[in-house]
Amino acid sequence: MATIRCDEFANYLEPWLAGERHPDAQSHVRDCPRCRSLVEDLNLIQATARQWGGEQVEPPARVWTSLRAKLEEEGLIREAGRQRRWFNGWFTILPRPVLAGAYLAVLVAVGFGLSGPVSTRINKARWHDSVQATTMGINKQIAPQISNTTSSLPQDSKSVVTASLRQNLDIVDNYIQLCEKSINEEPENELARDFLYDAYQQKADLLAQMSDRGGNVQ
Amino acid sequence: MSTTQLASRIRTHVTAGLLAPGLLLLAASPALAHRLEKHFTVEPRAVITIHNPNGKITVRAWTKHEIMVVANHDGSKVEVTAEQTGNRVDLRTEQFAASVSPDDLRADYEISVPEDAELQIHDDSGEVTIMNVLGDMNVETVAAGVVVSDAAGYLTVKTVGGDFQCLRCAGRLEVSSISGSFKLVELRSYYVRAQSSTGSILFDGEFLPNGIYRLKNYSGKIEVRFSPGDSFDLNAKSLKGTVNNDAKLTPPAHPQKYNNSKFGYAIGAFNAGRAKVELASFDGTINVRKRD
Repeated sequence: MATIRCDEFANYLEPWLAGERHPDAQSHVRDCPRCRSLVEDLNLIQATARQWGGEQVEPPARVWTSLRAKLEEEGLIREAGRQRRWFNGWFTILPRPVLAGAYLAVLVAVGFGLSGPVSTRINKARWHDSVQATTMGINKQIAPQISNTTSSLPQDSKSVVTASLRQNLDIVDNYIQLCEKSINEEPENELARDFLYDAYQQKADLLAQMSDRGGNVQ
Repeated sequence: MSTTQLASRIRTHVTAGLLAPGLLLLAASPALAHRLEKHFTVEPRAVITIHNPNGKITVRAWTKHEIMVVANHDGSKVEVTAEQTGNRVDLRTEQFAASVSPDDLRADYEISVPEDAELQIHDDSGEVTIMNVLGDMNVETVAAGVVVSDAAGYLTVKTVGGDFQCLRCAGRLEVSSISGSFKLVELRSYYVRAQSSTGSILFDGEFLPNGIYRLKNYSGKIEVRFSPGDSFDLNAKSLKGTVNNDAKLTPPAHPQKYNNSKFGYAIGAFNAGRAKVELASFDGTINVRKRD
Protein backbone atom coordinates (compact mmCIF):
# COMPACT_ATOMS: atom_id res chain seq x y z
CA MET A 1 0.00 0.00 0.00
CA ALA A 2 1.37 3.43 -0.95
CA THR A 3 2.40 5.64 1.96
CA ILE A 4 1.95 8.89 0.06
CA ARG A 5 -0.55 10.14 -2.52
CA CYS A 6 0.20 11.02 -6.16
CA ASP A 7 0.08 14.76 -5.50
CA GLU A 8 2.53 14.32 -2.64
CA PHE A 9 4.80 12.20 -4.79
CA ALA A 10 5.11 15.14 -7.18
CA ASN A 11 7.12 16.87 -4.47
CA TYR A 12 9.66 14.05 -4.56
CA LEU A 13 10.06 14.12 -8.35
CA GLU A 14 12.90 16.56 -8.56
CA PRO A 15 15.08 14.85 -5.94
CA TRP A 16 14.13 11.51 -7.49
CA LEU A 17 15.48 12.63 -10.84
CA ALA A 18 18.62 13.80 -9.07
CA GLY A 19 19.07 10.27 -7.74
CA GLU A 20 17.57 10.63 -4.26
CA ARG A 21 15.24 7.75 -3.39
CA HIS A 22 13.10 8.63 -0.42
CA PRO A 23 11.53 5.48 1.07
CA ASP A 24 8.01 6.96 0.78
CA ALA A 25 8.59 7.84 -2.83
CA GLN A 26 10.04 4.43 -3.59
CA SER A 27 7.09 2.78 -2.01
CA HIS A 28 4.68 4.94 -3.96
CA VAL A 29 6.41 4.28 -7.28
CA ARG A 30 6.28 0.56 -6.58
CA ASP A 31 2.55 0.63 -5.94
CA CYS A 32 1.29 3.31 -8.33
CA PRO A 33 1.47 2.36 -12.02
CA ARG A 34 0.69 5.91 -13.14
CA CYS A 35 3.56 7.53 -11.25
CA ARG A 36 5.85 4.66 -12.16
CA SER A 37 5.11 5.34 -15.81
CA LEU A 38 5.80 9.05 -15.29
CA VAL A 39 9.12 8.31 -13.63
CA GLU A 40 10.08 5.99 -16.46
CA ASP A 41 9.26 8.68 -18.98
CA LEU A 42 11.26 11.29 -17.13
CA ASN A 43 14.20 8.92 -16.83
CA LEU A 44 13.98 8.37 -20.55
CA ILE A 45 14.02 12.09 -21.19
CA GLN A 46 17.00 12.53 -18.90
CA ALA A 47 18.87 9.75 -20.63
CA THR A 48 17.97 11.17 -24.02
CA ALA A 49 19.12 14.62 -23.03
CA ARG A 50 22.45 13.20 -21.92
CA GLN A 51 22.93 11.46 -25.24
CA TRP A 52 21.95 14.55 -27.11
CA GLY A 53 24.47 15.95 -29.52
CA GLY A 54 24.95 12.61 -31.22
CA GLU A 55 22.19 11.15 -33.23
CA GLN A 56 18.66 12.39 -33.74
CA VAL A 57 16.29 11.42 -30.99
CA GLU A 58 12.60 10.83 -31.05
CA PRO A 59 10.80 10.13 -27.80
CA PRO A 60 7.71 7.95 -27.84
CA ALA A 61 4.29 9.56 -27.95
CA ARG A 62 3.45 8.39 -24.47
CA VAL A 63 6.17 10.65 -23.06
CA TRP A 64 4.33 13.72 -24.21
CA THR A 65 0.96 12.31 -23.34
CA SER A 66 1.89 11.60 -19.77
CA LEU A 67 3.83 14.83 -19.34
CA ARG A 68 0.92 16.79 -20.67
CA ALA A 69 -1.46 14.96 -18.36
CA LYS A 70 0.81 15.70 -15.43
CA LEU A 71 1.18 19.36 -16.30
CA GLU A 72 -2.58 19.72 -16.72
CA GLU A 73 -3.20 17.90 -13.49
CA GLU A 74 -0.83 20.18 -11.63
CA GLY A 75 -2.53 23.22 -13.08
CA LEU A 76 0.60 24.33 -14.91
CA ILE A 77 -1.35 24.16 -18.15
CA ARG A 78 -4.61 25.98 -18.00
CA GLU A 79 -5.80 25.62 -21.59
CA ALA A 80 -5.80 21.99 -22.46
CA GLY A 81 -6.75 22.55 -26.11
CA ARG A 82 -4.00 25.00 -26.75
CA GLN A 83 -1.36 22.89 -25.09
CA ARG A 84 -2.45 19.85 -26.99
CA ARG A 85 -1.87 21.66 -30.24
CA TRP A 86 1.43 22.90 -28.94
CA PHE A 87 2.69 19.43 -28.20
CA ASN A 88 1.30 18.10 -31.47
CA GLY A 89 3.17 20.85 -33.22
CA TRP A 90 6.33 19.65 -31.57
CA PHE A 91 5.60 16.19 -32.68
CA THR A 92 5.45 17.14 -36.30
CA ILE A 93 8.71 19.03 -36.17
CA LEU A 94 10.70 16.65 -33.97
CA PRO A 95 11.59 14.15 -36.69
CA ARG A 96 13.14 16.85 -38.83
CA PRO A 97 16.93 16.95 -38.92
CA VAL A 98 19.10 19.12 -36.72
CA LEU A 99 16.30 19.65 -34.28
CA ALA A 100 18.01 18.62 -31.15
CA GLY A 101 18.20 22.25 -30.16
CA ALA A 102 14.49 22.62 -30.60
CA TYR A 103 13.90 19.34 -28.84
CA LEU A 104 15.90 20.45 -25.87
CA ALA A 105 13.97 23.66 -25.78
CA VAL A 106 10.94 21.50 -25.12
CA LEU A 107 12.83 19.84 -22.34
CA VAL A 108 13.57 23.23 -20.89
CA ALA A 109 9.91 24.13 -20.94
CA VAL A 110 8.84 20.79 -19.55
CA GLY A 111 11.64 20.58 -17.02
CA PHE A 112 10.91 24.10 -16.06
CA GLY A 113 7.26 23.30 -15.52
CA LEU A 114 8.03 20.15 -13.56
CA SER A 115 10.55 21.84 -11.37
CA GLY A 116 8.01 24.48 -10.51
CA PRO A 117 5.23 24.55 -7.98
CA VAL A 118 4.12 20.99 -8.28
CA SER A 119 1.82 21.65 -5.40
CA THR A 120 0.29 24.85 -4.22
CA ARG A 121 3.04 25.21 -1.64
CA ILE A 122 5.44 27.36 -3.56
CA ASN A 123 8.93 27.58 -2.33
CA LYS A 124 10.68 30.60 -3.78
CA ALA A 125 14.20 29.43 -3.10
CA ARG A 126 13.51 26.06 -4.62
CA TRP A 127 11.92 27.74 -7.59
CA HIS A 128 14.87 29.97 -8.07
CA ASP A 129 17.40 27.15 -7.83
CA SER A 130 15.51 24.80 -10.05
CA VAL A 131 14.90 27.45 -12.71
CA GLN A 132 18.57 28.25 -12.81
CA ALA A 133 19.65 24.65 -12.75
CA THR A 134 17.27 23.65 -15.52
CA THR A 135 17.60 26.53 -17.91
CA MET A 136 21.30 27.20 -17.45
CA GLY A 137 22.28 23.57 -17.69
CA ILE A 138 20.28 22.85 -20.76
CA ASN A 139 21.13 26.14 -22.38
CA LYS A 140 24.78 25.13 -22.11
CA GLN A 141 23.97 21.87 -23.82
CA ILE A 142 21.93 23.60 -26.52
CA ALA A 143 24.52 26.24 -27.29
CA PRO A 144 26.77 24.25 -29.67
CA GLN A 145 23.80 22.89 -31.57
CA ILE A 146 22.32 26.34 -31.94
CA SER A 147 25.66 27.53 -33.16
CA ASN A 148 25.74 24.72 -35.74
CA THR A 149 22.22 25.53 -36.87
CA THR A 150 22.82 29.24 -37.23
CA SER A 151 26.19 28.78 -38.90
CA SER A 152 24.61 26.43 -41.44
CA LEU A 153 22.81 29.47 -42.79
CA PRO A 154 24.65 31.36 -45.49
CA GLN A 155 26.49 34.41 -44.31
CA ASP A 156 25.31 36.52 -47.26
CA SER A 157 23.82 39.60 -45.69
CA LYS A 158 21.95 40.39 -48.93
CA SER A 159 19.44 37.65 -48.23
CA VAL A 160 16.38 39.17 -46.64
CA VAL A 161 15.31 35.79 -45.35
CA THR A 162 18.62 34.91 -43.71
CA ALA A 163 18.92 38.36 -42.20
CA SER A 164 15.37 38.16 -40.88
CA LEU A 165 15.94 34.74 -39.32
CA ARG A 166 19.12 35.87 -37.59
CA GLN A 167 17.61 39.12 -36.42
CA ASN A 168 14.56 37.40 -35.02
CA LEU A 169 16.64 34.78 -33.25
CA ASP A 170 18.41 37.63 -31.48
CA ILE A 171 15.03 39.08 -30.54
CA VAL A 172 13.85 35.79 -29.08
CA ASP A 173 17.13 35.25 -27.21
CA ASN A 174 16.82 38.67 -25.69
CA TYR A 175 13.22 37.92 -24.82
CA ILE A 176 14.27 34.68 -23.08
CA GLN A 177 16.96 36.47 -21.09
CA LEU A 178 14.56 39.11 -19.86
CA CYS A 179 11.90 36.57 -18.99
CA GLU A 180 14.41 34.53 -17.03
CA LYS A 181 15.59 37.62 -15.24
CA SER A 182 12.03 38.44 -14.36
CA ILE A 183 11.40 34.91 -13.09
CA ASN A 184 14.56 35.02 -11.02
CA GLU A 185 13.23 38.16 -9.40
CA GLU A 186 9.73 36.78 -8.95
CA PRO A 187 9.92 33.01 -9.21
CA GLU A 188 6.22 32.40 -8.71
CA ASN A 189 5.10 34.86 -11.37
CA GLU A 190 2.83 32.86 -13.64
CA LEU A 191 2.63 35.51 -16.33
CA ALA A 192 6.41 35.63 -16.66
CA ARG A 193 6.51 31.86 -16.87
CA ASP A 194 3.92 31.93 -19.65
CA PHE A 195 6.06 34.38 -21.57
CA LEU A 196 9.20 32.29 -21.08
CA TYR A 197 7.31 29.23 -22.24
CA ASP A 198 6.21 31.09 -25.38
CA ALA A 199 9.72 32.35 -25.99
CA TYR A 200 11.21 28.87 -25.94
CA GLN A 201 8.49 27.69 -28.28
CA GLN A 202 9.28 30.52 -30.67
CA LYS A 203 12.98 29.80 -30.48
CA ALA A 204 12.42 26.15 -31.28
CA ASP A 205 10.18 27.04 -34.23
CA LEU A 206 12.76 29.45 -35.49
CA LEU A 207 15.61 26.96 -35.16
CA ALA A 208 13.54 24.44 -37.08
CA GLN A 209 13.01 26.95 -39.86
CA MET A 210 16.68 27.83 -39.88
CA SER A 211 17.80 24.25 -40.09
CA ASP A 212 15.33 23.66 -42.92
CA ARG A 213 16.73 26.57 -44.84
CA GLY A 214 20.41 25.94 -44.18
CA GLY A 215 22.02 25.62 -47.59
CA ASN A 216 18.81 26.21 -49.50
CA VAL A 217 18.96 29.96 -49.53
CA GLN A 218 21.96 32.03 -50.33
CA MET B 1 16.73 78.45 -89.83
CA SER B 2 13.18 78.41 -91.14
CA THR B 3 10.18 78.16 -88.86
CA THR B 4 9.44 74.66 -90.25
CA GLN B 5 12.99 73.46 -89.53
CA LEU B 6 12.83 74.91 -86.01
CA ALA B 7 9.51 73.19 -85.32
CA SER B 8 10.90 69.89 -86.62
CA ARG B 9 13.97 70.15 -84.33
CA ILE B 10 11.79 70.94 -81.34
CA ARG B 11 9.59 67.90 -82.12
CA THR B 12 12.68 65.67 -82.33
CA HIS B 13 13.98 66.88 -78.98
CA VAL B 14 10.59 66.52 -77.32
CA THR B 15 10.17 62.99 -78.68
CA ALA B 16 13.66 62.01 -77.54
CA GLY B 17 12.98 63.56 -74.14
CA LEU B 18 9.83 61.52 -73.76
CA LEU B 19 11.32 58.24 -74.99
CA ALA B 20 14.52 58.31 -72.97
CA PRO B 21 12.94 57.99 -69.50
CA GLY B 22 10.72 55.21 -70.78
CA LEU B 23 13.69 53.28 -72.13
CA LEU B 24 15.58 53.85 -68.89
CA LEU B 25 12.62 52.51 -66.89
CA LEU B 26 12.50 49.41 -69.07
CA ALA B 27 16.19 48.82 -68.57
CA ALA B 28 15.88 49.25 -64.80
CA SER B 29 12.89 46.95 -64.31
CA PRO B 30 13.55 43.38 -63.13
CA ALA B 31 13.98 40.92 -65.90
CA LEU B 32 10.86 38.80 -65.35
CA ALA B 33 11.16 37.48 -68.85
CA HIS B 34 9.23 34.22 -68.53
CA ARG B 35 5.49 34.10 -68.27
CA LEU B 36 3.43 31.05 -67.49
CA GLU B 37 -0.35 30.97 -67.77
CA LYS B 38 -2.33 27.89 -66.89
CA HIS B 39 -6.00 27.08 -66.31
CA PHE B 40 -7.33 24.20 -64.19
CA THR B 41 -10.94 23.12 -63.90
CA VAL B 42 -11.73 22.14 -60.31
CA GLU B 43 -14.53 20.85 -58.10
CA PRO B 44 -15.86 22.77 -55.08
CA ARG B 45 -13.42 23.29 -52.21
CA ALA B 46 -10.33 22.90 -54.33
CA VAL B 47 -6.98 23.14 -52.57
CA ILE B 48 -4.18 25.31 -53.91
CA THR B 49 -0.67 25.04 -52.53
CA ILE B 50 1.97 27.60 -53.37
CA HIS B 51 5.67 27.39 -52.51
CA ASN B 52 7.59 30.44 -53.52
CA PRO B 53 10.91 31.53 -51.97
CA ASN B 54 10.68 35.13 -53.06
CA GLY B 55 8.09 37.25 -54.80
CA LYS B 56 4.66 38.69 -54.84
CA ILE B 57 1.67 36.38 -54.61
CA THR B 58 -1.77 37.80 -55.32
CA VAL B 59 -4.82 35.58 -54.98
CA ARG B 60 -8.30 36.75 -55.95
CA ALA B 61 -11.58 34.91 -55.85
CA TRP B 62 -13.82 34.78 -58.88
CA THR B 63 -17.07 33.03 -59.69
CA LYS B 64 -15.69 30.40 -62.08
CA HIS B 65 -14.96 26.79 -61.09
CA GLU B 66 -11.54 27.25 -62.46
CA ILE B 67 -8.10 28.23 -61.23
CA MET B 68 -6.07 30.55 -63.39
CA VAL B 69 -2.39 30.95 -62.68
CA VAL B 70 -0.22 33.62 -64.22
CA ALA B 71 3.40 33.46 -63.07
CA ASN B 72 6.22 35.73 -64.12
CA HIS B 73 9.81 34.92 -63.40
CA ASP B 74 13.34 35.17 -64.67
CA GLY B 75 13.67 31.76 -66.22
CA SER B 76 17.40 31.37 -66.27
CA LYS B 77 17.75 29.74 -62.86
CA VAL B 78 14.23 28.88 -61.73
CA GLU B 79 11.11 27.39 -63.19
CA VAL B 80 7.51 27.66 -62.10
CA THR B 81 5.63 24.38 -62.07
CA ALA B 82 1.84 24.15 -61.86
CA GLU B 83 0.34 20.70 -61.54
CA GLN B 84 -3.10 19.37 -60.76
CA THR B 85 -3.68 16.24 -58.69
CA GLY B 86 -7.37 15.53 -58.28
CA ASN B 87 -8.89 18.62 -56.73
CA ARG B 88 -5.56 20.07 -55.69
CA VAL B 89 -3.33 22.37 -57.66
CA ASP B 90 0.32 22.70 -56.63
CA LEU B 91 2.33 25.71 -57.66
CA ARG B 92 6.02 25.76 -56.97
CA THR B 93 9.02 27.86 -57.85
CA GLU B 94 11.76 25.32 -58.54
CA GLN B 95 15.42 26.13 -58.37
CA PHE B 96 17.62 24.81 -61.21
CA ALA B 97 21.07 26.13 -60.54
CA ALA B 98 23.04 24.95 -57.51
CA SER B 99 23.88 28.44 -56.42
CA VAL B 100 21.33 31.19 -56.76
CA SER B 101 20.83 34.57 -55.22
CA PRO B 102 17.50 35.51 -53.61
CA ASP B 103 16.73 37.73 -56.60
CA ASP B 104 17.22 34.80 -58.96
CA LEU B 105 14.54 32.91 -57.05
CA ARG B 106 11.98 35.62 -57.52
CA ALA B 107 8.67 34.72 -59.10
CA ASP B 108 5.45 36.71 -59.01
CA TYR B 109 2.09 34.97 -59.09
CA GLU B 110 -1.38 36.24 -59.98
CA ILE B 111 -3.91 33.58 -59.17
CA SER B 112 -7.67 33.53 -59.59
CA VAL B 113 -9.52 30.87 -57.60
CA PRO B 114 -13.12 29.85 -56.83
CA GLU B 115 -14.50 31.58 -53.73
CA ASP B 116 -14.56 28.41 -51.66
CA ALA B 117 -10.97 27.44 -52.45
CA GLU B 118 -8.56 26.46 -49.68
CA LEU B 119 -5.11 27.96 -49.77
CA GLN B 120 -1.77 26.87 -48.39
CA ILE B 121 0.87 29.46 -49.12
CA HIS B 122 4.55 29.52 -48.28
CA ASP B 123 6.37 32.64 -49.34
CA ASP B 124 9.66 33.48 -47.60
CA SER B 125 10.05 37.05 -48.76
CA GLY B 126 8.02 39.39 -50.90
CA GLU B 127 4.33 39.96 -50.33
CA VAL B 128 1.15 37.92 -50.09
CA THR B 129 -2.23 39.44 -50.89
CA ILE B 130 -5.47 37.48 -50.72
CA MET B 131 -8.85 38.90 -51.61
CA ASN B 132 -12.40 37.57 -51.23
CA VAL B 133 -11.45 33.94 -50.63
CA LEU B 134 -13.91 32.21 -48.31
CA GLY B 135 -12.16 28.87 -47.79
CA ASP B 136 -9.61 27.99 -45.12
CA MET B 137 -6.15 29.45 -45.50
CA ASN B 138 -2.73 28.78 -44.10
CA VAL B 139 0.01 31.28 -44.87
CA GLU B 140 3.61 30.99 -43.70
CA THR B 141 6.32 33.50 -44.43
CA VAL B 142 9.65 34.64 -43.08
CA ALA B 143 9.92 38.26 -44.11
CA ALA B 144 6.97 38.61 -46.44
CA GLY B 145 4.04 40.74 -45.34
CA VAL B 146 0.54 39.30 -45.61
CA VAL B 147 -2.64 41.19 -46.44
CA VAL B 148 -5.97 39.38 -46.37
CA SER B 149 -9.28 41.05 -47.07
CA ASP B 150 -12.89 39.84 -47.07
CA ALA B 151 -12.02 36.31 -45.99
CA ALA B 152 -14.37 33.99 -44.12
CA GLY B 153 -12.59 30.68 -43.53
CA TYR B 154 -10.28 29.45 -40.80
CA LEU B 155 -7.21 31.58 -41.29
CA THR B 156 -3.82 30.74 -39.83
CA VAL B 157 -0.88 33.00 -40.51
CA LYS B 158 2.64 32.55 -39.25
CA THR B 159 5.46 34.92 -40.05
CA VAL B 160 8.91 35.50 -38.61
CA GLY B 161 9.24 39.19 -39.37
CA GLY B 162 6.46 39.95 -41.83
CA ASP B 163 3.53 42.17 -40.92
CA PHE B 164 -0.05 40.97 -41.21
CA GLN B 165 -3.13 42.93 -42.05
CA CYS B 166 -6.65 41.54 -42.06
CA LEU B 167 -9.55 43.58 -43.34
CA ARG B 168 -13.15 42.49 -42.99
CA CYS B 169 -12.30 38.90 -42.12
CA ALA B 170 -15.02 36.75 -40.61
CA GLY B 171 -13.56 33.32 -39.86
CA ARG B 172 -11.51 31.96 -37.03
CA LEU B 173 -8.15 33.70 -37.03
CA GLU B 174 -4.84 32.57 -35.57
CA VAL B 175 -1.77 34.65 -36.28
CA SER B 176 1.71 34.55 -34.82
CA SER B 177 4.97 36.28 -35.51
CA ILE B 178 8.20 37.25 -33.81
CA SER B 179 8.67 40.81 -34.96
CA GLY B 180 5.73 41.31 -37.31
CA SER B 181 2.93 43.73 -36.43
CA PHE B 182 -0.76 42.99 -36.93
CA LYS B 183 -3.67 45.16 -37.97
CA LEU B 184 -7.02 43.48 -37.59
CA VAL B 185 -9.62 45.87 -38.89
CA GLU B 186 -13.40 45.49 -39.26
CA LEU B 187 -13.22 41.89 -38.14
CA ARG B 188 -16.28 39.78 -37.47
CA SER B 189 -14.63 36.70 -36.04
CA TYR B 190 -15.70 34.50 -33.15
CA TYR B 191 -12.17 33.47 -32.37
CA VAL B 192 -9.03 35.56 -32.72
CA ARG B 193 -5.63 34.63 -31.36
CA ALA B 194 -2.77 36.95 -32.22
CA GLN B 195 0.68 36.69 -30.76
CA SER B 196 3.83 38.60 -31.59
CA SER B 197 7.04 39.18 -29.66
CA THR B 198 8.00 42.69 -30.58
CA GLY B 199 5.29 43.62 -33.04
CA SER B 200 2.33 45.82 -32.22
CA ILE B 201 -1.23 44.57 -32.45
CA LEU B 202 -4.27 46.61 -33.41
CA PHE B 203 -7.72 45.11 -33.06
CA ASP B 204 -10.48 47.27 -34.43
CA GLY B 205 -13.30 44.83 -34.95
CA GLU B 206 -16.49 43.52 -33.41
CA PHE B 207 -16.63 41.57 -30.19
CA LEU B 208 -19.22 38.96 -31.05
CA PRO B 209 -21.24 37.37 -28.24
CA ASN B 210 -19.38 34.31 -26.90
CA GLY B 211 -16.41 35.21 -29.03
CA ILE B 212 -12.87 34.76 -27.72
CA TYR B 213 -10.16 37.32 -28.45
CA ARG B 214 -6.64 36.68 -27.21
CA LEU B 215 -3.92 39.16 -28.08
CA LYS B 216 -0.44 38.83 -26.67
CA ASN B 217 2.92 40.37 -27.28
CA TYR B 218 6.20 40.79 -25.50
CA SER B 219 6.83 44.43 -26.20
CA GLY B 220 5.20 46.93 -28.51
CA LYS B 221 1.69 48.19 -28.26
CA ILE B 222 -1.59 46.33 -28.10
CA GLU B 223 -4.54 48.50 -28.98
CA VAL B 224 -8.14 47.38 -28.85
CA ARG B 225 -11.03 49.59 -29.88
CA PHE B 226 -14.57 49.13 -28.68
CA SER B 227 -17.99 50.69 -29.21
CA PRO B 228 -20.40 51.64 -26.40
CA GLY B 229 -22.74 48.81 -27.39
CA ASP B 230 -20.09 46.09 -27.20
CA SER B 231 -20.26 43.47 -24.51
CA PHE B 232 -17.09 41.83 -23.31
CA ASP B 233 -15.24 40.51 -20.33
CA LEU B 234 -11.81 42.07 -20.23
CA ASN B 235 -8.65 40.66 -18.76
CA ALA B 236 -5.71 42.89 -19.69
CA LYS B 237 -2.32 42.53 -18.06
CA SER B 238 1.09 44.00 -18.73
CA LEU B 239 3.85 42.64 -16.53
CA LYS B 240 6.27 45.55 -16.86
CA GLY B 241 4.20 47.97 -18.91
CA THR B 242 0.97 49.86 -18.48
CA VAL B 243 -2.68 49.27 -19.26
CA ASN B 244 -4.76 52.26 -20.33
CA ASN B 245 -8.42 51.45 -20.32
CA ASP B 246 -11.34 53.65 -21.41
CA ALA B 247 -14.01 51.02 -20.77
CA LYS B 248 -16.00 51.32 -17.56
CA LEU B 249 -15.72 47.85 -16.18
CA THR B 250 -17.77 46.03 -13.60
CA PRO B 251 -15.25 44.33 -11.30
CA PRO B 252 -15.39 40.55 -11.20
CA ALA B 253 -17.53 38.95 -8.49
CA HIS B 254 -14.48 37.15 -7.17
CA PRO B 255 -11.60 39.60 -7.30
CA GLN B 256 -8.38 38.06 -8.52
CA LYS B 257 -5.03 38.10 -6.86
CA TYR B 258 -3.83 41.01 -9.02
CA ASN B 259 -5.45 43.54 -6.72
CA ASN B 260 -2.19 44.25 -4.99
CA SER B 261 -0.02 43.43 -7.94
CA LYS B 262 2.77 45.61 -9.21
CA PHE B 263 1.92 45.07 -12.84
CA GLY B 264 -0.61 46.96 -14.92
CA TYR B 265 -3.99 45.38 -15.37
CA ALA B 266 -7.64 46.01 -16.18
CA ILE B 267 -10.09 43.29 -15.33
CA GLY B 268 -13.87 43.27 -15.41
CA ALA B 269 -16.99 43.16 -17.54
CA PHE B 270 -18.08 45.78 -20.01
CA ASN B 271 -21.88 45.71 -20.37
CA ALA B 272 -22.93 42.07 -20.04
CA GLY B 273 -19.43 40.74 -20.63
CA ARG B 274 -20.48 38.33 -23.36
CA ALA B 275 -17.25 38.13 -25.32
CA LYS B 276 -14.00 37.15 -23.69
CA VAL B 277 -11.09 39.52 -24.32
CA GLU B 278 -7.66 38.57 -23.01
CA LEU B 279 -4.76 40.94 -23.57
CA ALA B 280 -1.29 40.25 -22.25
CA SER B 281 2.04 41.96 -22.66
CA PHE B 282 5.39 41.57 -20.97
CA ASP B 283 6.56 45.16 -21.07
CA GLY B 284 4.39 46.68 -23.74
CA THR B 285 1.55 49.16 -23.40
CA ILE B 286 -2.03 47.98 -23.68
CA ASN B 287 -4.61 50.52 -24.76
CA VAL B 288 -8.33 49.76 -24.62
CA ARG B 289 -9.86 52.70 -26.41
CA LYS B 290 -13.37 53.80 -27.22
CA ARG B 291 -13.92 53.93 -30.96
CA ASP B 292 -14.37 57.43 -32.40
